[in-house]
Amino acid sequence: MSTNYEQLAKKLVARAKKMGAKQAEAFVQVGREATCRVRDGEIEHLTQATSKGVGLRVIVKNRLGFSFTSDFEPSSLNAFVDRAVKLAEAAAPNPLNGLPDEKDLGDFPDVGALYDPEVASLAADWKITAALEMEKAARADPRIKTVESVEAGESVGEVFLASSAGITGYSQGTSVYLYTGAVAEADGQLQNSWWYDARRFLRDLESPEHVAKEAARRAVRMLGAKKVKSQKVPVVFDPMMAASFIGGIAGAVNGDAVYKKSSFLASKLGQTIAPPTITIVDDGLMPKGLATSPFDGEGVPTRRSPIVEKGVLKTFLYDAFTARKAKTRSTGNASRGYRSLPSIGTHNLYLEAGSRTPEALIKDVAHGFYVTTMLGHGANLVTGEYSRGANGLWIENGELTRPVQEVTVAGNLLDMLSRIDGVGSDLTFRGSVGAPTIRFNELTVSGE
Amino acid sequence: MTQAPLLAIPLVERLLAAAMERGAEFAEVYVERSENTAVTLDEHKVKSAQSGLSQGVGLRVIAGSKVGYAYSDDLDDEALFRAARTAAFIAHGGGSERAFTVNRTPLPTFYRLAQHLSGVEVEAKRELIVRANKAAHAYDKRIKQVMASYADTTKRILVANTQGHLAEDTQDLCRINVHAVAEGAKGERRTGSFGGGGRVAFSHFDTFTPEYVAREAARQACAGLGAQEATAGEQTVVLAPGWSGILLHEAVGHGLEADFIRKGTSLFAGKLGEKVASELVTVIDDGTMANARGSLNVDDEGNPTQFKVLIERGVLKGYMYDSLNAKLMNQKTTGSGRRESFKHTPLPRMTNTYLAPGEDTHEDIIRSVDGGIYCANFGGGQVDITNGNFVFEVSEAYEIKKGKLARPLKGVTLIGIGPEALKNVSRVGNDPMPDPGMGTCGKDGQGVPVGVGLPTVRIDKMTVGGTRVAGGKR
Repeated sequence: MSTNYEQLAKKLVARAKKMGAKQAEAFVQVGREATCRVRDGEIEHLTQATSKGVGLRVIVKNRLGFSFTSDFEPSSLNAFVDRAVKLAEAAAPNPLNGLPDEKDLGDFPDVGALYDPEVASLAADWKITAALEMEKAARADPRIKTVESVEAGESVGEVFLASSAGITGYSQGTSVYLYTGAVAEADGQLQNSWWYDARRFLRDLESPEHVAKEAARRAVRMLGAKKVKSQKVPVVFDPMMAASFIGGIAGAVNGDAVYKKSSFLASKLGQTIAPPTITIVDDGLMPKGLATSPFDGEGVPTRRSPIVEKGVLKTFLYDAFTARKAKTRSTGNASRGYRSLPSIGTHNLYLEAGSRTPEALIKDVAHGFYVTTMLGHGANLVTGEYSRGANGLWIENGELTRPVQEVTVAGNLLDMLSRIDGVGSDLTFRGSVGAPTIRFNELTVSGE
Repeated sequence: MTQAPLLAIPLVERLLAAAMERGAEFAEVYVERSENTAVTLDEHKVKSAQSGLSQGVGLRVIAGSKVGYAYSDDLDDEALFRAARTAAFIAHGGGSERAFTVNRTPLPTFYRLAQHLSGVEVEAKRELIVRANKAAHAYDKRIKQVMASYADTTKRILVANTQGHLAEDTQDLCRINVHAVAEGAKGERRTGSFGGGGRVAFSHFDTFTPEYVAREAARQACAGLGAQEATAGEQTVVLAPGWSGILLHEAVGHGLEADFIRKGTSLFAGKLGEKVASELVTVIDDGTMANARGSLNVDDEGNPTQFKVLIERGVLKGYMYDSLNAKLMNQKTTGSGRRESFKHTPLPRMTNTYLAPGEDTHEDIIRSVDGGIYCANFGGGQVDITNGNFVFEVSEAYEIKKGKLARPLKGVTLIGIGPEALKNVSRVGNDPMPDPGMGTCGKDGQGVPVGVGLPTVRIDKMTVGGTRVAGGKR
């Protein structure tokens, strides 16, 4: 099976060269997935499927053409290659176009196992049982009115890459997840929340009971939520919200945005942008990471890149094209699926843990806001302005007290970074982004 | 239609029979073939020309409230029958050997194009973005960067089910988009975005010209230069007509989708016939608007779309149903079953959702505000349909002072609870309301094209997020 797809990728590259492409690269993705959702003690939804596709990038006279297809019939594949080559004619010639340079290439790092045979052979019964268990555990609290959705599932994926630069890459991985969404009700108010966990290996996954109870706990504690007055106070982000904040910062170190000066961090390389407690890392090599891979979307070996180290901005992230434009080297951050050209993205992104417990960070706060959910995209990476809808709990005298909703938290990302005065020890990954609890000494909360 | 069906009809019928082998109540075959083209421009150069082909078959089997789903992008018989039997697994009966036949239902058409977009030469598409780039830079010297893109899809679908329905449709869709960055004094940078299209022939861009789109994106970018921070707290806001309808889509529309109603997770559940908005508010979801981005001749379950009144003069009149939720709730489908692709099961979704025009003029509405904010353009938004919380980023905003537009504001976010905001609607304009055709709605990880719309609307007591607090701390 594997060799078939590798052969296919090589054949497409050869055909593209024959049709006049100076360079060509085929990126094949093959996968299968299965999910189970239950409701009221019964199976609600079972899905099972296999899929595949190939994206072909060609450079013809310095022009870039791209085409993808899921139709692997030998009769249509030749036409598919020819279409990509022909499309290149419509693009402008640009000497910067091309596959990664030789100096960016090299041996792929050993990233350890990403494939769990246990996940790959997971029985449908496991998912059904796990989902039923989650529904029961979420319902254990009488204030939970309805369990909106409980779902368990797994996927297995393979990637084959072949290019005229002589790269042949193969990687495979698994992932398995549990999800619970629960709705709590009291005095005519509804509050929902969810929790999930996703891992490459089954034995690392949180238990169904834990996932469900956490979803229920997060919904119930929001009952009775109200607005607060507009004010400036210390604000604490729980690990999930901190991860989303870090994700926003990562968008601003995208080498393309930086090159175009469309990032508020464009002129800050080498400068101190945060307190020395802040270290943000993009790690393509993290053992068992959901976004770990030996090579990026164009065959450049991945690495561990400290973005911010002890408060100092250390690097921007590049794919091959942007690196050539900015006269630097690729950092192995070309991210893609078979349906699109590579673009700059992160691998496993995280804020390193600090030394204080989350409880200690809250205990210092006389009046403040502990944020657990946010709405909206929020950050403008060009200007650094940040404003999002926020829900959470009000802090009084170092204790979490009443729930708060219908307010926004706003600031400027650069200013916010400098305002982080506490980093928790509780680094937690949900998916491929991780962070501990963080505290800002003061942000604007807008309400009444 | 003269084209051969996407899948031979006798094969479709045999797949339905295979899907029913374990005695389910309903089975459906969905076949899709989508051809995409895209051209992108960046830094004055047409960066790439792209195309794609996706095809596959989704098989859905329903037994009671249980759904089995399988899909395959291999179209050979063996793979398709395997998918049918996988989906059939949801039912526990057995021994059914019924045969099924399907017949074509005649369809209305809201978007018949003389030439499919997939047949238009890529050079013509490239030309649009080259012109847009030129026009955006020519608009103002302060425009420093322009990104432009054009993308289209010609999607063919075939849906057949065990009730004997067979529907086929060809759905063209295109959109041009321009993003401009302006640079002002001290390196201040502001962005503007504009675009549009729909289920329209390529000649749409003869009147909705790339120059018009580019100048609007450039205007927005320049207008934001020198903007001041907004004051946080409760304020009167006026929403500009058109794209502001995104607010209605998010804050109200999603809460009226039948799956959330059936599960009791929407705050609009159980409120049919109740007053949920100001009597100035009439909300319509209309899948039959000519050539609109959200229009469909049939939904992705093969049912005709409708003109549906959701809220009439403030009273909740109806929800949006797909066939499964309709069946489970003893209702009829409203032709609202949509899916992103053959890889997804249908969900109740919106098509083109808008607020019906009222009686005031745009000028009168602005004149009626002593102090407040005019929201000229929106970025993104999000809603929690359970507690009704919504949030919107206003990408272009102005202060309103004594009935007149004043200085530009930055960093404005609107936040509220859907029904409360609707109750505070105090003026509705008589101006045209459809958006230019640039919305894509996401739900459960599925994106579908939608239309939104709103005439000029005044809302009192809206919470505005910002960084400046009136009257100092606490």
